[in-house]
Amino acid sequence: MLSFIRKRAIASLISLVGLIVMVFFLSRLTGDPAALFLPVEASAEMKEQFREIHGLNDPLMVQFGRYVGDILTGDLGQSLRKARPALDVVLEAFVWTLWLAVITMTLVTVAAIVVGSLAAFRSGGFFDRFSSMVSLIGASVPDFWLAIVAIVVFSIQLAWLPTSGTGSIHHWILPISVLFVRPFGIIVQVVRGSMISALSSAYVKTARAKGVKSGPIIFIHALRNAMLPVITVIGDQAASLLNGAVIIETIFGFPGVGKLMIDSILQRDFNVVLAAILVTAVAIFLMNLLIDLTYALLDPRIRH
Amino acid sequence: MKKTLILGALLLGSTLSSAFAGSGPIKIVLPEEADLLEPCMATRSNIGRVIMQNVSETLTELDLRGDKGLMPRLAEKWEQQSDGSWRFNLRQGVKFSDGTSFDAKDVKYSFDRVMSDKNVCESERYFGGMTISAEVVDDNTIDFKADPVQPILPLLLSLVTIVPEETPLEFIRKPVGTGPFKLTNWTPGQQIVLTGRDDYWGAKPSVTEATYLFRADPAVRAAMVQTGEADLSPSISQLDATNPATDFSYLDSETVYLRIDHNIEPLNDVRVRRALNMAIDREAFLGTLVPDGAVLATAIVPPPTLGWNPDVKVFPYDAAAAKKLLDEAKADGVKVDTPITIIARTANFPNVTEIMEAIQAQLQEAGFNIELKFVEVAEHEQYYSKPFKEGRGPQLVAAMHDNSKGDPSFSMFFKYASEGTQSGFSDPKVDDLIKRASAAVGDERAKLWSEVIALVHDEVVADVLLFHMVGFSRVSERLDYKPTMATNSTLQLSEIGIK
Repeated sequence: MLSFIRKRAIASLISLVGLIVMVFFLSRLTGDPAALFLPVEASAEMKEQFREIHGLNDPLMVQFGRYVGDILTGDLGQSLRKARPALDVVLEAFVWTLWLAVITMTLVTVAAIVVGSLAAFRSGGFFDRFSSMVSLIGASVPDFWLAIVAIVVFSIQLAWLPTSGTGSIHHWILPISVLFVRPFGIIVQVVRGSMISALSSAYVKTARAKGVKSGPIIFIHALRNAMLPVITVIGDQAASLLNGAVIIETIFGFPGVGKLMIDSILQRDFNVVLAAILVTAVAIFLMNLLIDLTYALLDPRIRH
Repeated sequence: MKKTLILGALLLGSTLSSAFAGSGPIKIVLPEEADLLEPCMATRSNIGRVIMQNVSETLTELDLRGDKGLMPRLAEKWEQQSDGSWRFNLRQGVKFSDGTSFDAKDVKYSFDRVMSDKNVCESERYFGGMTISAEVVDDNTIDFKADPVQPILPLLLSLVTIVPEETPLEFIRKPVGTGPFKLTNWTPGQQIVLTGRDDYWGAKPSVTEATYLFRADPAVRAAMVQTGEADLSPSISQLDATNPATDFSYLDSETVYLRIDHNIEPLNDVRVRRALNMAIDREAFLGTLVPDGAVLATAIVPPPTLGWNPDVKVFPYDAAAAKKLLDEAKADGVKVDTPITIIARTANFPNVTEIMEAIQAQLQEAGFNIELKFVEVAEHEQYYSKPFKEGRGPQLVAAMHDNSKGDPSFSMFFKYASEGTQSGFSDPKVDDLIKRASAAVGDERAKLWSEVIALVHDEVVADVLLFHMVGFSRVSERLDYKPTMATNSTLQLSEIGIK
């Protein structure tokens, strides 16, 4: 197992290095940060001064060498716009994103497995049809629309929840609920499909013939075998949340890493872009590792 | 005796209620968080709306709420010396929020810090093309010498925020100022809190504490004031401004126009430029794609600006006359059929796409061959500012220009002088007039700026001026506050009353 983890770590490190090199040079292709930091009326001298102070006048390879040197000492540079370490800016935002992703995916996973399994058990029945309809709507509904409707209904009309922001547990309810809908819709469909095929397999028939009750058949015998494709999809959905839920962050004023990344790209705040990509890439690598380990845990054939 | 007691109690009650009513904390929701709270960057709106005159004060202040013109703030008075320099007498007994005393050395340091090459302060841009030195006369007096002499130096100093001389040259995130508020909390991404100071030199504002929240979505900002989560949103969208009790429109300081590149045929022909102006039905936009209350523009600066010329009239909408002008130019060999590209910036202002498409259609109706191209902010800057690309075709750059500073000098050189970074033409007569207006004072200054405005609009036909725009604010009914032209860039808490 340890050698498996080591191999994955080395492969991920290589990808990470490639990613940093690519993003470093691609971000420089977008243009001059001075043009965006200063207003259009700023003089050429001021723009030149800005580039000089931030080392943007040096040849690209010199800038890259300096960046690599700094990164090896754990320094990801200063944010051009915020005058503070880029890594601090990113980690501060990433904590919010991580919480949002962890809570949402935990709720989604539990709910989708229960609903998907029950739908598969009575395939074609009322519950199956109803849950299919709900999950298809969930997978298709645009989240910006849902977010605005949720604010109008729950914050303005009913006055149950705050419109946006952070500060109390109530502030988390709307963003998590809106974020919940799409992955829930997708994962329910996958669980249902996977469970239908598991429930029609020989070992389930054998278990039934032996008189095992429905509950254990669904949640012990069939579910464990049906989980492999489900975990893959859960991983995909979690990765997209770890990259930041830009629309949700924008509408609900949630200070996550998604909006930070977009703003930094638009403002050409290169160090923040690189730090954000680095942090989210490491998080996604760790999550993929966790998924691989879960595969091994669930399926002895992979373990051995 | 009983009556006296009741009367006494009533009097006491009314005194107490008047003492306690009308003050308290408020919450303000802004579209964009300040990335820095650096005083020398306070001319940038996302920073200025939080700290300008709230935390960091200036020597002088332009009155955009009333008509008092330039008012004293940290300077009590100022006068021009015989050698053209300006002497400022500073207010005494003023303390910074860190407890240190304010004096002339702080003013000199603040100015030198803005001009330093160890940082890039945005307010430095207002001092281009001049050399200024600050000399401390005594603790409460300071002289500013400018070369060439600057008649509007006191106005320029309304843009320089004063920091203690202990402030590092590098950008800071915890500003210390002389203003009525001090920064007490900044949780990045969440909130900024300013708390009223007991030791402020001036009148105590009604607002005791201001919490700034940040929401990018205008509908959410409007909803927050509606639900009481915030008390004021200085900018909401026109679509959300539906409640007359809380929603106000105000003429902001933005002017939308099409900058014409006179260097490329057929735009080098004044008849073609005039035809462009006459082919657009500006009135048709008001109340449709552009909010009611917007004003048709005849200058790049909004109406309250010095020298704004009421005699300059909007070009009449006359598609037939525009077509005739084009035909005349064509007959003289001008290639009027050459495709002209309108370069517009995505999300520059509300309905920009529809407005530009409508303008394209109206110009085509008059016989122009118009293409429309939308670009992001960074690319737009490359089209808008010099150096312009070699080998480019004829272009009209749709842009929005902001001047709430009260004087055209903040616009005219950049937009119309031969060396102006966004100027699309070169005209010695305009250059000379701008130079003379910039150096003039008083009524002469206003007169010369009026002449510049008339010259570039009527004779040169420098650009296609469109609209002075309006903004929309939502203000809770518990506040006594009306937005003004300054609201785009500053939001003085001392101007907000609590009912």
